[in-house]
Amino acid sequence: MGIMDYFKPVSTWPAEMVRAFLKEKTEDEYNLVDVRTPKEYEEGHLPGAQSIPVRDLSERLLELDSNKPTVVY
Amino acid sequence: MRSRAAAATLEGAGLEKVYSMEGGIRAWKGLTAKGAPEAGIAYFSAAARAEEMIALAWLLENGSRRFYDVLAHAIEDSDVADLHRQLAGAEERHKATLLDLYKKLVGAAPDVGFPQSVISVENEDDVMEGGMNVTEALQWVKGKSVTEILELSVALETNSYDLYLNMKRRLKDQPSAEVFRVLSGEEKEHLERLSALLEKKLP
Repeated sequence: MGIMDYFKPVSTWPAEMVRAFLKEKTEDEYNLVDVRTPKEYEEGHLPGAQSIPVRDLSERLLELDSNKPTVVY
Repeated sequence: MRSRAAAATLEGAGLEKVYSMEGGIRAWKGLTAKGAPEAGIAYFSAAARAEEMIALAWLLENGSRRFYDVLAHAIEDSDVADLHRQLAGAEERHKATLLDLYKKLVGAAPDVGFPQSVISVENEDDVMEGGMNVTEALQWVKGKSVTEILELSVALETNSYDLYLNMKRRLKDQPSAEVFRVLSGEEKEHLERLSALLEKKLP
């Protein structure tokens, strides 16, 4: 991840929309990624989220299915 | 900020549609699950192989069944008692599903010492889903309102849903992963039924 990634436009969803999306879909239909630190994840995370801290993201891309929509927080 | 950067990284890596959740976890009004990434729950780190995960899941299901069973008899509200009775039945079926899976995987029925023969967990008779302790949970519910009890059960199911998805991911393409996918789907359904009843019972 480069510094410029912080400035790229990305799509965002309000939490309510994420909640509705997760309720409607089954877990096979999306990637849900918690990019915070393992400690933050441990203290509380969205049910079903997988923990991939930002710093590990590029090495662990294969854990995500690139054909599915992905929600990150 | 981190999630926007992460989203940009993922899009750059070729993922189809990536959405960053506005406001991060603080904006999330739903329930959260607790536990370490490698854990799902504290003692999950002890389980690495598929048969160990099965043994641990069986143990947790057994504890939850006991918890729900006591509640089903103790709660006066008939809707809430009924749902907990059904949940106790569902957890009992999950135990059978897990035993079947174990047989398929190992090629033999588990020995009499199961699940302690496969996995060593302290106070093995007292653990349940959500990393809670059955005795403490039963102590806690005394004198609590039905909505408080429902909230605890919702938290319990949230954590088991989360745990099973973690187990499924750890098993990747192994055949056992499918069973954990099915179990997580059922825990999600329990979660929805408990939440619906909770909404109904809220004053």
